[in-house]
Amino acid sequence: MTGRGREKGTGMDKGEDKGDGGRGRQGGSEEYVILRISEEYHMKSEDAVSQKKPGGLQVNRRTFIKLSALTGAAIGAGQVLGPAITHSSAPAAGGAAKPLDEKWINTSCINCPARCAIKVRVVDGKAVKITGNALSRVSEGKVCPRAYVGLQALYDQGRVNFPLKRTNAEKGKGVDPKWQPVSWEEALDEIGRRLQTIRQKEEPHKLLIFTGLNTRSSEDLIRRFADAYGTPNVVSGDALEAETLKAGNWMADGHYGDVAYDLDNTNYILAFGADILESSRPLARLLRKWGKMRREKPNRTRIVVINPRYSLTAAKSDQWVPINPGTDAALAMAVAHVIIRENLYDSAFVSRWTAGFDAYRKLALDEYSPEEVAKITGIDAGDIRQMARDFAGTRPAIAIGGREAVDWQNGSYTAYAIACLNALVGSIDVPGGVMYQEGVTFAPMPALAGDGVAKKGKSQPALDLRKTQKHPLAEVATNRIPESLAKGEPYPVEMAIGFNSNFTMLAPGAEKWDEALKKIPFYVHVAPFISEMAYEADIILPATTYLEEWAYDFSPPGAGFAELRLKQPAVAPRGKTMPIPDMIFAMAKKTGGPVADAFAGLGDCAEGFVKARTASLLPWKEFVETGVCRGNDYIYRKYETIFATPSRKFEFYSGGLKALYAAKKIATEGDLAFLPHYRAEKFIGEVGDFPLALLPYQPLMFMENGSQNYPWAQEAYLPMNGVGWQVFAEMNADTAKKLGLKNGGFVWVESASGKIKTKVKFSEGIHPEVVAMATGQGHWSYGKWQTGIGVNPNEITGLDYDSLSGQSVFFNTRVKVYKA
Amino acid sequence: MPRWGMVIDLDQCVGCQACTFACKAENNVPHGSPEEQKERRDFFWNKMIAASSGKYPSVKTEIIPMPCMHCDNAPCVTVCPAEATYRRADGIIVQDFRRCIGCKYCIVACPYGARNFNGKEQEEMPYSRHDAPPDRNSWGPWPFPTRTHGVVEKCTFCFHRIDQGIKEGKAIGSEVVPACVEACPSGARIFGDLDDPKSNVSKKLASRDSIQLREELSTHPKVYYLPK
Repeated sequence: MTGRGREKGTGMDKGEDKGDGGRGRQGGSEEYVILRISEEYHMKSEDAVSQKKPGGLQVNRRTFIKLSALTGAAIGAGQVLGPAITHSSAPAAGGAAKPLDEKWINTSCINCPARCAIKVRVVDGKAVKITGNALSRVSEGKVCPRAYVGLQALYDQGRVNFPLKRTNAEKGKGVDPKWQPVSWEEALDEIGRRLQTIRQKEEPHKLLIFTGLNTRSSEDLIRRFADAYGTPNVVSGDALEAETLKAGNWMADGHYGDVAYDLDNTNYILAFGADILESSRPLARLLRKWGKMRREKPNRTRIVVINPRYSLTAAKSDQWVPINPGTDAALAMAVAHVIIRENLYDSAFVSRWTAGFDAYRKLALDEYSPEEVAKITGIDAGDIRQMARDFAGTRPAIAIGGREAVDWQNGSYTAYAIACLNALVGSIDVPGGVMYQEGVTFAPMPALAGDGVAKKGKSQPALDLRKTQKHPLAEVATNRIPESLAKGEPYPVEMAIGFNSNFTMLAPGAEKWDEALKKIPFYVHVAPFISEMAYEADIILPATTYLEEWAYDFSPPGAGFAELRLKQPAVAPRGKTMPIPDMIFAMAKKTGGPVADAFAGLGDCAEGFVKARTASLLPWKEFVETGVCRGNDYIYRKYETIFATPSRKFEFYSGGLKALYAAKKIATEGDLAFLPHYRAEKFIGEVGDFPLALLPYQPLMFMENGSQNYPWAQEAYLPMNGVGWQVFAEMNADTAKKLGLKNGGFVWVESASGKIKTKVKFSEGIHPEVVAMATGQGHWSYGKWQTGIGVNPNEITGLDYDSLSGQSVFFNTRVKVYKA
Repeated sequence: MPRWGMVIDLDQCVGCQACTFACKAENNVPHGSPEEQKERRDFFWNKMIAASSGKYPSVKTEIIPMPCMHCDNAPCVTVCPAEATYRRADGIIVQDFRRCIGCKYCIVACPYGARNFNGKEQEEMPYSRHDAPPDRNSWGPWPFPTRTHGVVEKCTFCFHRIDQGIKEGKAIGSEVVPACVEACPSGARIFGDLDDPKSNVSKKLASRDSIQLREELSTHPKVYYLPK
């Protein structure tokens, strides 16, 4: 059938135009026979796409030859079929008399938290292509490669299509749960009954809720449900990402959140462990802006990447600076030292809009000379000086912190030290500097009445120790949960519901989650597939994917200006799956009483809820058509209002933290606790036994929805190694040779808490004392394209936290590597 | 007659592989499996390679996205005994599946590894778009409706888009581009008429020094790279 797609006049290699699209040479007739046959196949396969083999009608080389033998008989057929088939006549000849029902739906992605605006092409009720929505100014009509994988997420053959109930009381990895399909009525009745019982006992805090990667509208409903029900225990996966950055920003400017960077106008980027092109977000915007920074503006932006691992970002940058793991704070302070000593800082901004500069100045000058810091970081003092001079001299410049720099015990202070560099060069709320993300103002939900039971429940301490002396700043400390569950402290849990969460794969000490989940008397998991967490559930409620549901969504900080996106069903939900909002409404109804009342007048279903909340922003029809609602342009230099610190200025000395410590009666060792500073990280495992530091990193095709069962994402998983479908222990070649390892051979990577077996890959792009491993593989619960592929380095990482923010530490586990 | 070509700016390229997946989705290129990758049987019409050099810490890895180079002097066309692969008047090298005898001579001849032998039965998925390109009425059936088992296939510069675009009087290179160019989030890929000095692709090419892969072989590729 190929030939018919060919344009007249662009025919054969000889440059001649035969006027029949190049078929003349073959006489044509036998081809018509083949055309007819494969068209017949098409008509069939259109109706039954999943039908794998179109018995007998497959045109391969052999049948072609056979058919050629029939040419004589077919000549007549060719005549009957008429002259050369042209484009316009093709559909009729193709037997597709019925016109295709084709449409483009403007909606948004959620294969990662960036939630970019997308367009989905839907043909005959099937989604066949995803691309960017040009109306979005956040991603400028582009998407990252994860968006394409949405088709495989939607049509994932391992999806759950109806509620499942566990019939095997024994739980555990490898134990068959013996799932039994049940009706929605039965599943929701049981959940409602249990929710009622816990509330009747006036112990609503014993309900634990996990939220993974959910739409903002689902998140809003889940949190409202928890509030109305009366539990403080809504646990998101945020503390498995980079809460330290939020804490660092909070100390500096009073906002506990990520900031945006004005990449359109910046001329210099110092990336501390930030994988701008891989795990940072909103990724599609970063990818677009990277291209812009390099060659679509007059001054090419210079980018320097500091990371023990030669990441994809480092490969695409101008300079890679390998650093001893966990020493980024010292480097940031040394950069400050040079900038202050050489008087390169923005004195106008510093004197007018900052507080605590003297203490910071003294600390930087006294303790962080490049020579001292060279010993800590392993970076040459001359290089540090040069870096500092370039950073201060190529304005506007920004310093960006990322996971590999800040997911450490002292990570909040590292993030704080990085944030201070931006203030030093005046890159705060100016073009090319740090921006403060603006949000969308939704129509408010009715205030919660909140009965006595809910109030009592919510006054209980949260299971993850947030806002306690241990984690005074934490919004959530995800990885404290397994410990709390195992010990039953501060109280045992009666029931848990997990919404699209899969912490069993994401969290350091991953196995602990599996053990802890087994202890929950009744666990409900909500997801489109049986993730590792779902595997330990008592009931699985099959959720729709984002291509089948209504929702509203917006990106994490990135663009500065606000932009809201719609999710609308591109295709009908598969099987008996249900959108999460509908489940919440049903659960609230089944719980009854004040919980049910809290959900009255909210639209009663996903679509109604989205409509009600966005009604004040733009007309519904317009939203459905465009899929995007954009806020006003960003306004710079809002210094009067932007700082939420006690001094209403940018703080080099955190008055906010000082006040918090006083309120919580936390003792400190003097002023150092309120200044950005470096402290040597404590590693888990002795250097003698475990000489190398494990560095688990997220490659770009790491799918954050909790599954990796997507062949497209898998087959190009490790672009820097040019392969997919696996995980390597990536080691410095010299180190590996000294250990007597063979490139590509199997090795054990062993920490104090366990060992995993994988192939070793020699590299010139890894710090000699580091073993880098990609995360995202090692799934075991479901899926042809993910089970048995690779290993999960989080299985051998130890448990540790950043004390301020509750962020899990990912990089301080020591390992040894030996031949398997 | 235009001479279609592509410029890939390696300074802008972010190595994300959006091109690879957009191509797979557009042209219905089957995905591989761990086994196929091990035996190098999985295939890509557009792939990304990583070439490393240097010792720690001055290592350098070049990330190079590679479609078919659509050589002006294409070895695959020269060697094909069945005349299944040929050069269109606009310079695009295409493969006629019905003539291909699956001898793989072209695979051996191609210095860029751009060609793939399809030795598998494709798993049909609902998103497989064999018979459903946009504007089917004027395009005719998809150029590659079902995979013909046992033939060689490769990148076509999305000629179905170009042909349709010309028909509709659209500007090729700006309004209409191959799927990989459309998908590239960083704007690293530019497509257009190399013979037209006013085209985006010619302007981009003139802006800096460029290289072609394996120029010494005199294949005259129509894909140019702009190094950092």
